[in-house]
Amino acid sequence: MIEARDLVVRYGAATALDGVSVSVRAGEMVALIGANGAGKTTLVNTVCGILRPAAGELRTSGRLALVPEGRHLFGPLTVDDNLRLGAWRDRKNRDTGHIYQLLPELVPLRKQVAGRLSGGQQQMVALGRALMGRPDVLVIDEMSLGLAPRVVENLAGHLRQRHAEGLAVLLIEQNARLALDLCSRAYVLEAGRVVAEGPSAELAGSTEVATAYLGLES
Amino acid sequence: MGELAQYLVTGVGLGCAYALTGSGLVVIYRVTRVVNFAQGSFAVLGALTVTTLLAAGLPHGVAEGLGVLLAGLVGVLVGVVATGKPGTTPQAGLIVTLGLGVFAYAVEIFFWGDQPRSFPGLPGAVGGIQTHYLLIIGVTAVVLGATALLFARTDLGRALTATAADPYAARAVGIDVVRMGLFAFAVGGALGGLAGVLITPVQQVSFDSDVALVVSGFSAAILGNLTRPGLTLVGGLLLGVVQALVGGYLSTAYQSEVALIFMLVVLIARAGRRDLVEAA
Amino acid sequence: MKWAYAVAAVGALVLPVVLAPGQLTVFILLGLSAMAVVGLSLLMGYAGQVSLGQAAFTALGAYTSGLLSLHHAPPLLALVAAPVAAALAAVVVGVPILRLRGHQLAFATLALQILLLSVLSGAQWAGGAVGLQGLPYLSVGGFELDQDLDYAYLVVGGVLLVSLIAHRLVHSRVGRGLRALATGEMAAEASGVPVGAYRLLVFAVSAAFAGLAGGIYCFFLGYLAPGSFPVLLSIEYVVMAVVGGLGSIAGALLGAALITVVVQLLTSLATQPGMPSYAPSVLSYAVYALLLIAVVLFVPKGIVPTLRRSL
Ligand SMILES: Nc1ncnc2c1ncn2[C@@H]1O[C@H](COP(=O)(O)OP(=O)(O)OP(=O)(O)O)[C@@H](O)[C@H]1O
Ligand SMILES: [Mg+2]
Repeated sequence: MIEARDLVVRYGAATALDGVSVSVRAGEMVALIGANGAGKTTLVNTVCGILRPAAGELRTSGRLALVPEGRHLFGPLTVDDNLRLGAWRDRKNRDTGHIYQLLPELVPLRKQVAGRLSGGQQQMVALGRALMGRPDVLVIDEMSLGLAPRVVENLAGHLRQRHAEGLAVLLIEQNARLALDLCSRAYVLEAGRVVAEGPSAELAGSTEVATAYLGLES
Repeated sequence: MGELAQYLVTGVGLGCAYALTGSGLVVIYRVTRVVNFAQGSFAVLGALTVTTLLAAGLPHGVAEGLGVLLAGLVGVLVGVVATGKPGTTPQAGLIVTLGLGVFAYAVEIFFWGDQPRSFPGLPGAVGGIQTHYLLIIGVTAVVLGATALLFARTDLGRALTATAADPYAARAVGIDVVRMGLFAFAVGGALGGLAGVLITPVQQVSFDSDVALVVSGFSAAILGNLTRPGLTLVGGLLLGVVQALVGGYLSTAYQSEVALIFMLVVLIARAGRRDLVEAA
Repeated sequence: MKWAYAVAAVGALVLPVVLAPGQLTVFILLGLSAMAVVGLSLLMGYAGQVSLGQAAFTALGAYTSGLLSLHHAPPLLALVAAPVAAALAAVVVGVPILRLRGHQLAFATLALQILLLSVLSGAQWAGGAVGLQGLPYLSVGGFELDQDLDYAYLVVGGVLLVSLIAHRLVHSRVGRGLRALATGEMAAEASGVPVGAYRLLVFAVSAAFAGLAGGIYCFFLGYLAPGSFPVLLSIEYVVMAVVGGLGSIAGALLGAALITVVVQLLTSLATQPGMPSYAPSVLSYAVYALLLIAVVLFVPKGIVPTLRRSL
């Protein structure tokens, strides 16, 4: 689904990613954790084709959709129009009905202007917009940022369900505990490099990761 | 019909041309954030092309249509130069379009010389009012209505609005942001061209008519802060009518100043209000 | 860079003597443009403002000198009044319009220039569309400047004066504040830089430079008309400032020189026998346009700052 090898990405002279290899296989749910400025969003934008890598190899297969960091809804448009544009690439499948079935929370909001929704509602719309393209892999950048625990719980529930139906997920999360909980495998990114990777249980058990990201004393 | 009614119809006719030019500015600005200084050149190029096509024997309607089409194509070219190079800021884009407006002078003088030109419009009069003004008003209503529908009711229009609102998110859902910008330039070019083609039978056009046109269009559009098509139409009509009344009852010498003063007043009043909001 | 200044200085002193009469006129007009462009470059580079109305201040200066000397004011006083009047006008219009930004200010300055031109064309006291004619030469204490050569050196002096003032301004507390202002306004405001006052000061100084150019122009040519200061002249100034490099005094001088010389060369080419009558205007418009676009897209900082960096 996603196969990135030795990616190097630069902003001008600054190197944001320095030889990063990451893979997500079909139906897999993978977490990417790391501190602020580690390069997570850069990796996401590269994988989604918004940034071009300076070196390395990137292969993706199947449809890929993004829930961007900070939601990035189309503020002046209604929720329904936001959803429609999620299927921009696929002119014949722009009917939004199935999204309201998957995310019933959106039904009462459909005619509302997206820019005026609460953060949690916006994240739900962003998720719906990404699902509109009927993706095989979903990339979510900072799912829980700034949201109340109950909202995060709700979003996580939706993710689990989609995953159970076969959707592959690359989840970028500041909340490492949540990420390791949801995903079977994880990567730890630090200053543009992968410093640890493996099954979530193993990473959660490793003392370095636990101290740095789970807030535990060793 | 009375004098006043005549002035009103003439004013609305002129105002339609301003509204079309202003709407072109708005479409381009909303999607690309570039204030297109070459907007008046579309009108001049469109109108001058029609003079040539008519002289070559093409029938009315076809010649005008081709003139508008050419203006749309020129719009795409302007868009390519002003936004095509990655990393070009909207401010740089403004200066580039200023340069393109001057370049249009070279092209226009080369092909058409520097003397004013015109061509006949719809002949005849209804109740003392030139029929052509009614044509201007009718065509403008249809075209601006269609443009509004394009933005409100079609996915292409939604994608244009989306690009304007958040280019990053637009790219994330697979919208080709550069292509949308060029499409906006095409629409803006065609709207500008239409303004020129409609107005030339009642007002001669020469290579440097573009400054007055872009200033009038900008004055119309500034009422809606360059982003609101509805207010742009209101602004254009208001300007046209006030100009016609000033020209009719005071003096034609002050006609063209109306748009300039209107623009300055709106700009300064808005800046004053913004300062108040910031201070609060 | 030192040698470049030396070459320019020697050129400015020697050229007036060796140039043919027609070329001397071009030299003088070049110098006048350079004065206005130094001001504009300061405004655009240091105060981050786009003005499409700089030629309005040239016109104001010229009409001030012209009207005063027609009404028998001492010519020197009439000349000094030109930059003063332009600066005062800039302060008056600057208070409301300098609150505008970017394209808004661009259109507002353009509108002001068109308004000024139409007022001048309509005003009986300013000679209407015909303008002012039969203006006297400049004279200082019985010495009358009635040769092109005199004006050439007067212009050299004017350019020098303007450049020195600009240099002082740039390297003063005001200049440092202005640089902060152009790059990050909020930060400058927070650090106590009086943003509005500084911006108005640059606007007034920039207008004064153009006004002085206008004053000299009026004595040199001996006649004025609204048509001598078209919108296109303002655009020409912008092209010169952008090509040379905004905020750079040397850039403003180089931009003015380069554009004037290139346009002059093309004009003489275009007026060769056999060339069509429209050739000069077509070529000069095309040159302004293409140079402006090429520099904005490919040398965005302008020629001089880019050269400085690569040396
Ligand atoms: N557009 C940009 N231009 C220049 N540098 C950038 C740009 N975007 C990001 N960077 C730099 O690249 C590095 C990685 O940034 P990135 O946004 O990928 O980190 P992140 O892991 O997503 O951080 P966060 O947790 O804050 O979202 C940082 O040092 C950042 O300053
Ligand atoms: Mg990030």
